[in-house]
Amino acid sequence: MSTTINTSRRDFLKHSTLAGGGLIVGIPLMGLSQTASGAEKQNLAPNAILQITSENIVNFYLPRSEMGQGVYTGLTTLLAEELDVSPSKVTIHQTGSDDEYANPEFGMQITGGSTSIKAHFLPIRQLAANARLVIRQAAAKQLNVSLETIQTQDGKIFIQGKTLAYGEFVDVASTLDFPEDTPLKLEKDFKYIGKYNQRLDAQAKSTGTAEFGLDVDFDGLQKAAIKHCPVYGGLVQSFDDSAAKNMAGVKAIVAIHNGVAVVAEHYYQAKNALAKIEVQWQLPEKLSSFSTHSMDANNGMGLFENALKQEGDNAHNEGDSEAIKQTNKVISAQYWAPYLAHATMEPMNCTVKIENGKVDVWVGSQSPGMAKNIAALFADVAKDDVTVHSTFLGGGFGRRSASDFVAEATAIAKASNLPVQLTWSREDDTQHDLYRPASLAKFDIGLNQDGTINSWHVKRVGPNIMPYMIDEAVDAIAPGFMPNTMVDWLSKRGYGLFDGWVVDPSSVEGLFEDYDSPNKQVNHVTIDPGLPLGFWRSVGHSYSGFFKESMMDEVAVDQKQDAVAYRLKHLKNNPRLAHVLKLVAEKSGWGKPLANDHFHGLATHTSFGSCVAQVAEISVSESKIQVHKVTCVIDCGTAVNPEIIKAQMEGGIIFGLTAALHGEITLKDGAVEQTNFHTYPMLRMNESPEFDVIVVQSNEAPTGVGEPGLPPIAAAVANGVFAATGRRLRSLPLKLA
Amino acid sequence: MLRFTLNGQLVEVDAPSDTPLLWVIRDHLKLKGSKFGCGMGLCGACSMLIDGQSTRTCILPAAAIANKSVTTIEGLGNPELTSAVQQAWIDSSVPQCGYCQSGQIISATALLTNNPNPSDKEIDHAMSGNICRCGTYPRIKAAIKQAAHNIQTGQGKLQAVQYFEPTESAQEAQS
Repeated sequence: MSTTINTSRRDFLKHSTLAGGGLIVGIPLMGLSQTASGAEKQNLAPNAILQITSENIVNFYLPRSEMGQGVYTGLTTLLAEELDVSPSKVTIHQTGSDDEYANPEFGMQITGGSTSIKAHFLPIRQLAANARLVIRQAAAKQLNVSLETIQTQDGKIFIQGKTLAYGEFVDVASTLDFPEDTPLKLEKDFKYIGKYNQRLDAQAKSTGTAEFGLDVDFDGLQKAAIKHCPVYGGLVQSFDDSAAKNMAGVKAIVAIHNGVAVVAEHYYQAKNALAKIEVQWQLPEKLSSFSTHSMDANNGMGLFENALKQEGDNAHNEGDSEAIKQTNKVISAQYWAPYLAHATMEPMNCTVKIENGKVDVWVGSQSPGMAKNIAALFADVAKDDVTVHSTFLGGGFGRRSASDFVAEATAIAKASNLPVQLTWSREDDTQHDLYRPASLAKFDIGLNQDGTINSWHVKRVGPNIMPYMIDEAVDAIAPGFMPNTMVDWLSKRGYGLFDGWVVDPSSVEGLFEDYDSPNKQVNHVTIDPGLPLGFWRSVGHSYSGFFKESMMDEVAVDQKQDAVAYRLKHLKNNPRLAHVLKLVAEKSGWGKPLANDHFHGLATHTSFGSCVAQVAEISVSESKIQVHKVTCVIDCGTAVNPEIIKAQMEGGIIFGLTAALHGEITLKDGAVEQTNFHTYPMLRMNESPEFDVIVVQSNEAPTGVGEPGLPPIAAAVANGVFAATGRRLRSLPLKLA
Repeated sequence: MLRFTLNGQLVEVDAPSDTPLLWVIRDHLKLKGSKFGCGMGLCGACSMLIDGQSTRTCILPAAAIANKSVTTIEGLGNPELTSAVQQAWIDSSVPQCGYCQSGQIISATALLTNNPNPSDKEIDHAMSGNICRCGTYPRIKAAIKQAAHNIQTGQGKLQAVQYFEPTESAQEAQS
């Protein structure tokens, strides 16, 4: 692993008026090459990353959002390691929105794509290493000793038998030139990376004291509830609020861009009044004619099936696409995955106060920068007049990367001229999500005489996410708004929107990359009924992991070969994936007999740079699939907090099991049919399996953790069901009856 | 006027009697530890102890708790003084997003009150009313066992915060 950093990336020192004073350091996480001049230094405090006060308080301004995935602990651990301070001694502050807090992966202030540890592993350590050096330099100067004699440990300077706190030297340190490119610690010297196993937010979250968006409250804050059109994109034609407007506590009833909202003193008053309002909607034509259950050849499933006949656009081509015609045997199969909602436990909500042209927004968001821009647009103020206050997120999973609820809250605050907290009901949350796209895929796998794969052909049919995230978030909701960073973000993600975008990579990711095949062809047919789409934990991998790994199982079964051995034959160019596969086979006792009619199913998948293999131990009784145990191996490079990585594997697998066993969003006349947890059920404690999670020891650069646990599990279960029953389930959710 | 005991103290609230208890606690009394999740009693995020039983308060009219004793997450312990269940949650790194955990801890506390040494099946049964979307179930199970062990060996209590009993005048007001 490299411990050097691009020398063009400069940290810069910020003297400022930030309360507490001391040593204050900002970080251009994007690698901007700039140094603050004297005048600028005075005004840079709001985007500080690190502050060490003369009272020896270490303040860390966390640039990413904590939604359960563990950045609150993980990024703090990176800082603490190089600063030589225990992570538990760092005071963590959630930052608002500022360009300097941009995620280096995206160029925007976004938490997603399992990027946080990967993207900050070097920049945050570099900042902390530089800060520690400047403190040592200050100590050398102040005590008139040589730098080499000054050691540090646990936030203290050790010199000639004396122990002095960092805080003693920060005032002098803040007058020195800030060092750059200080050598980072070697792996063997790590005290916290790979070793620190607590969660720094566990105490607040176990005592009810962690603040989520919904917990924000202040004098004069009013509560709002909203009625959306049952079909996405519908507009308010007219509404009758005569029965609602005189109800207890009601302060205002307003129509906004996509619905009607009641503002009241208390939330339940707003809810009660909302129920009495009759709205006439102007329905969108296309989506309101779509029903997933329709038997019509051009509706529902028929729409997708028909599209499969088209050739589509080529998304990837390798070798000879004609070679399949000469192969010994072609095995074909078709798979389906439905639309899915995110169902975060905390329903969407946002608090907005507009006063004297200034806007304050309190929100748990995966993209506070976008929230800021959206609020500015809907409040009709300049972006600089918006302040975002970040809270903990009661679940993200991609849902909170969108800002639709920020737009609504701002619009309601502006129209009512009141500070409001908009709270969605669970029904709003289930029925007005940005959904995981439904997908149909067909594989044609051509085999050589010896049974190995010669040609891997796959075609995916379905809608694409990016048009919604870009067009809806940028053009429709925010016309004319297209910051340069967004352009950078798009080009970095490789969507090529501006140079002939053909296929959204997230639509086909994971369908073809993992296994060796001299010839590969991936085609895509876009079919979009118009239900809005968003990033859903593991994005395209959430279905491609199921499709690809079920297909691989089918081929191995057809060739009467062991699932592990057959996969390994096709992983000659992918030693990392081969390793996790071998390890999961060993740890799970793959191939050994199981007691009590239990069966094993296996799957392996690469996503977000990490390799994961899973074995599910299942049984089937009276058409009910039960998952007893999951053995999971992950290689995510350097493990910063192994316990959080294990927790993310458990959580990703349980998230994936909900989708595998229960998850399905259906539409009737364009409206989502599911409403709450009785019709959109979640996996509960009694269905949760036992776990054995193994994190591969590695010194490679860290890769993703929040999402990679999810993609293999549905296939592992389905492959187990095949072993148990001989029935191949090719549709999600998995149903035997 | 609603009158009940909240975390050991007698409280009076001016809210309509059909207001769900959750909103009386969150909106009127400003205790934010208990969460809104579904509004139908399906997810358990709003769980509170009512006379020791884990109860879904998002659908419970406030009138139903008149003169009863309500304990929220804040009534079990606080960051300085955690209950045995809360401490086990911290030690086992249970929370992820954390939103459901107040309700989980309330249900676990009710379970251990009635059954100091629950089996896996009994834990499954008692905890299946509380959804965790992050999937912390295996850690919840481990933490419940840890808390049970700690309580039995004298290392912690189900309720860490000790309240004064309601005063005589308060009891009079109650009757």
